[in-house]
Amino acid sequence: MTPVSRDRPFLALVAILVIVAVAMPLLAGTPFALSRYLANAIGQLASFAVLALALDLIWGYLGILSLGHGLFFAMGGYVMAMYLLKHSFVVTGTVPDFLQFMGWKDFPFYWAGFDFFPYALAVAVAVTLLVSGVFGYVSFRSRVGGVYFAIITQALVYVAMLLMFRNDTGFGGNNGMTGFSVLFGWPMGTSGMITALSVVSLLVLASVLLGCRLLVGSRFGALMLATRDDETRLRTLGYETLRLKLIVWCLSALIAMVAGMLYVPQVGIINPRLLSPELSLEIAVWVAIGGRGHLVGAVIGALLVNAVKFWLSFAAPEVWPFILSGLIVLVVLVFPNGLIDLAKLKLVRPMGARRMAAELEEAR
Amino acid sequence: MVKFSRRSFLQASGLAAAGLASPVGMPAVLRSAQAQSGPVKLGCLFSSSGTMANLEGRLNYVVKMAADEINAKGGVNGRTIEVLVSDPASDWPLYAQTAKQMLQQEKVAALFGCWTSVSRKTVLPVVEQEGGLLYYPLHFEGDENSKNVVYVNSPPASSVLPAVDYLMSDDGVSAKRFFMLGSDYVWPRTINKQLKGYWASKGIPESAWKEEYVPFGFSNFQTLVNQIRAFADQGGGQPVVVLTVVGNSIPDFMREFANQGILATDIPVLGLDMVEADLEGLDTSKLVGHLNCWAYLQNAAGPANEAFLKSWAGYVGANKVPFSPDVSIDPMVSAYDSVHLWAMAAAKAGSFDVPEVSKAFAGLSFDCPSGYKISMTGENNYVARGVFIGSVNDKQGFDILWQSKDTPTPVPFSPYG
Amino acid sequence: MKHWFLPSFLFGLLAGAWLLPAPAAQAAGLDRAGLVQDLCGDAGAMGRAGAALTATAATGSDDERAWAAPLARAAIDRKLACDAAGAVLTEGGLDALTRAPREAQGTPRSPLLSLKNRPVYELADAAFALRGAPDAGRRAAALRTLERRPALIPEGLLDMAAEAEGDAGLKAQIEALAQTAALNAADPAARIRALSRVADNRSRRALTQVTALAQDPAYASNPEFRAAVDAATARIERGIAIGDALATLYNGLSFASILFMAAIGLAIIFGLMGVINLAQGELIMIGAYVTFMVQQGLRHAAPALLDWYLILAIPAAFLVTAAIGIALEALLLRHLYRRPLMSLLATWAVSLFLVNLVRVVFGTQNLQFETPFYVSGGVPVIGDFIFTWNRMFAIAFAAVTLALTWLVVRKTPLGLNIRAVTQNRDMAACIGIPTRRVDMMAFGLGSGLAGLAGLALSPIYSVNPQMGQNFIIDSFMVVVLGGVGTIAGTVVAALGIGQINVLIEPLWGAVAAKVIVLLMIIGFLQWRPEGLFAVKGRRK
Repeated sequence: MTPVSRDRPFLALVAILVIVAVAMPLLAGTPFALSRYLANAIGQLASFAVLALALDLIWGYLGILSLGHGLFFAMGGYVMAMYLLKHSFVVTGTVPDFLQFMGWKDFPFYWAGFDFFPYALAVAVAVTLLVSGVFGYVSFRSRVGGVYFAIITQALVYVAMLLMFRNDTGFGGNNGMTGFSVLFGWPMGTSGMITALSVVSLLVLASVLLGCRLLVGSRFGALMLATRDDETRLRTLGYETLRLKLIVWCLSALIAMVAGMLYVPQVGIINPRLLSPELSLEIAVWVAIGGRGHLVGAVIGALLVNAVKFWLSFAAPEVWPFILSGLIVLVVLVFPNGLIDLAKLKLVRPMGARRMAAELEEAR
Repeated sequence: MVKFSRRSFLQASGLAAAGLASPVGMPAVLRSAQAQSGPVKLGCLFSSSGTMANLEGRLNYVVKMAADEINAKGGVNGRTIEVLVSDPASDWPLYAQTAKQMLQQEKVAALFGCWTSVSRKTVLPVVEQEGGLLYYPLHFEGDENSKNVVYVNSPPASSVLPAVDYLMSDDGVSAKRFFMLGSDYVWPRTINKQLKGYWASKGIPESAWKEEYVPFGFSNFQTLVNQIRAFADQGGGQPVVVLTVVGNSIPDFMREFANQGILATDIPVLGLDMVEADLEGLDTSKLVGHLNCWAYLQNAAGPANEAFLKSWAGYVGANKVPFSPDVSIDPMVSAYDSVHLWAMAAAKAGSFDVPEVSKAFAGLSFDCPSGYKISMTGENNYVARGVFIGSVNDKQGFDILWQSKDTPTPVPFSPYG
Repeated sequence: MKHWFLPSFLFGLLAGAWLLPAPAAQAAGLDRAGLVQDLCGDAGAMGRAGAALTATAATGSDDERAWAAPLARAAIDRKLACDAAGAVLTEGGLDALTRAPREAQGTPRSPLLSLKNRPVYELADAAFALRGAPDAGRRAAALRTLERRPALIPEGLLDMAAEAEGDAGLKAQIEALAQTAALNAADPAARIRALSRVADNRSRRALTQVTALAQDPAYASNPEFRAAVDAATARIERGIAIGDALATLYNGLSFASILFMAAIGLAIIFGLMGVINLAQGELIMIGAYVTFMVQQGLRHAAPALLDWYLILAIPAAFLVTAAIGIALEALLLRHLYRRPLMSLLATWAVSLFLVNLVRVVFGTQNLQFETPFYVSGGVPVIGDFIFTWNRMFAIAFAAVTLALTWLVVRKTPLGLNIRAVTQNRDMAACIGIPTRRVDMMAFGLGSGLAGLAGLALSPIYSVNPQMGQNFIIDSFMVVVLGGVGTIAGTVVAALGIGQINVLIEPLWGAVAAKVIVLLMIIGFLQWRPEGLFAVKGRRK
């Protein structure tokens, strides 16, 4: 694998992210400043890109397709939302909606302590590790993989969605939670806060990119690729693939959780829709379109697809689903490696040869 | 790991940049220059896809129709109205996103949107932060009074309590037992909370009511209808069902109810979100007598309604609108009223700035197709509407069982919750 | 003994608050003008008119009854037009009072029956029909209406009707109804007789009615009466228990049949090609839409056959969805052979496309389906258990589908090929089975089955572009739990999931039931990933 220092496209991407992150606050106040809407959009796109990275880590490099990563995204999101609401309540005294319409006098007991951010963060990490750890351990131990695993993750995220839709679970139910007014003591909604969140998201994206790149470039990364290509052989050589898969799976879950924590303050609401099976499927689509197995591809796929979606759901809402389905079919059939193929303009390769190459990659 | 060439990477990132440099990315400064002259923009937040599409989709067209009417009379303050339509796809966070886009990018003068309370609650922080104005055309649970929202339709005091009172009275069915069945979100939960408070204030014991919630989009009501029958069979007085499910759950429930042989004369159902559009596709001969309560019913008498129905039918035909020209529901009329109310306020204020327009609300009044003269006071942003109690007939419509003499003053905060 | 009218009868008995005074034989004649005026009055006046009509039906002269009968019907059907000069029966254009032809003047108002008055008028109309209708069927229907509100039946009506009744069977029914009303009569023997008749209907209403008699003074004083009440209570409670068990079984079976039909196509495809077809829900939806088109076509071309559209649509739904499936396989999935994860995404893209295509073409509203007689209403069987026809149709349909699928898979050459390729694709190819063609045909079969599922579901669920998405996760779970590629597995899994779901639902609600079932399946699969009935062969 190309060492990081020589991987030009990767370095270029990281550089772009850092430059934009630095430029945004500097340009604020000048006539070239980005509008609040655009700054906010960039921040949201960045958090989606982090989520795509999380999936690419296990799908591109381990060969495990999870169609339920929305679960971990939502875990991060919900914990962040709980912190924001509790914190806003402590600072401003506004009682959240869901308490009012449920007729509850106090926050349920499991909300205690959430106005203290380190505690909230610790809870998020603990819950994510617990769920991903248990689920991963049980699944990998019974050698559940491939399509089965994908379907089960869909069912898992669907179950979570059903649970969270219930108002009596105390997380706002279908209404979700909104009305976040204060973050770390500062009011939300100001230009400064929007820019700050956006910058943080970009920087987090850049660091996660760097971290993942270092991981997959290391010896551990080589083992990951070996697991993806032929797990049996690797096991025959004496490696403990269960631990390997579990570690990467939990890491991926944590990254998705971080993405969720970045996303929620910027979008201003959390709602069980984040747990819909469709969203989790879409993450796979972003990665597939961008090019799985290439971190850069995952980021670009996420940025591109979501940017087009933002634009189209305003400009031409009827058209978006058709474009998305067309794009997916195109990628799956003609550009199996996503945009990477397009970038290399390898259309002339005969379908058969390309198909064989793709099949080799997808051993299962 | 595959090695990229610089050219190929630039191509790839060029695509990404192109995505961002779409109209979304145009610097704000270029856009605001447009805002001072030319048409004034109004934004719609009604879904054309997803669970709410069948109901909300119509409202986009009604707003456009109202805008056309106003433009035909010369527009507002010398400018024509342009209606921007979007599709939040029944996805609540997307309502907030789209609202932000419309207020920040497109600089719309007012927003007309939302059906479910959850979508309104999502948009609320956005309009408050941006200082925008949202006209909300649905009847709802009240308990809210933002100065950035105009509540065009009735809170429970004028949309739920009249019907419940009617059912409990001797003229009604002398109801003594209540089965509350709702979709699990803020509106049904709040309504039921208020109703329980109301009944407690009348000395009705807790054993006389039962509450059940189902998820959005739930359709398998077999067991629940069995439960309703068991509840009814316990005796102790006439039972009624207070139905606060929404969307497709309404026709699914009514179908199961009829299939199990229960008539309105056995157990009447008060469908608080049931409109004429929900009866499309149902055999209503077995549903005759069930009730609803709105500020407008299609069978309302009077020239204003006749004119509205005619305009709507004409508009549907002329513009190939994918909805029935013969069905008109309360939210459509409320959306129609909203546009006119806004135009009147803007004309009275001589400006489109939200604070000026808001000051002009006091004393506005408009001839609603319902036959009532709806009005606003300076006290809050609620609109005083008439009240109708409708009864399902066998032609998939509602007959008017009772209507209020005039428009009662809206009560934003329920004393019973 | 007909069980179905007694439940409504007893419900009426319970609704004591509605008891209107049933007047004794009215000596004075009917005030016709006053009646017509009341019909055009407010709700209270209409109530008085209703009471008068009922009394006339019971004890009025033949002349009066003939005059009054059309008024009740007209009020119910809203075929009465009230104007300044009185009222006009719009059917026939006759003045309500004089029955002379007259046009309604000005803007006539059509009075609307309130919920309180409606049963009174329906009762009056039924009472008139019972005594006056020439057609026996009409009289039987009237008797059924009367049974719903026995407390409102005026005294003497049933006896007079029984006397005048020519049809022996109907006469017996009228007399039975008259006897049952004697539950609160003075004569204890009559009460005991009535009690045994009431206990024949084993429903909760009957139970409430009978247990209330324990407070009756006769319970303490009369040992025979007490014994009769206790025996009746025991009988009813047993019946209710049986009814509840049957209801749970029936609901579970009906849910299972829906799951089965949604999943069987998926099972065949997944077993064969390892492809999870995320577009399966949309194929179900298209099956329902094709059924709708057939209905519309029949409406225009052959209205007499309209009621049979569900049957006639069977080949259409099957063939159209099979064709779509085959096209899907040939154009798209064929190239994704051995790439199951990509084909999953591809089928999801197709599902997105289909939903939006249907939405753009047909619109988002629910489709309007006629409910033919064989799928409407229900039959009360025992206790509180009602056998609804539409779900029975689904169950029967699922059974037939099961039988036919089993036949195809077990007895036809195509089925043999499918089984061979499912077990060992490479070997099957080696011995000359055209695996690609088998794939295509099997996909067609699986899709066609989905289309049939859509047809069977159209009388039960709302049909709109989104309907398919409700079935996807559940069908996956059935397939994965049952064991891929086996019909028996799909059946058992569907039955299991359906039944458990229905058992839990009344305890903790529908959502909890679904959540628990899904978690149980996920847990089960961790332990036994190949499902209940695994096909022996190499797992793909």
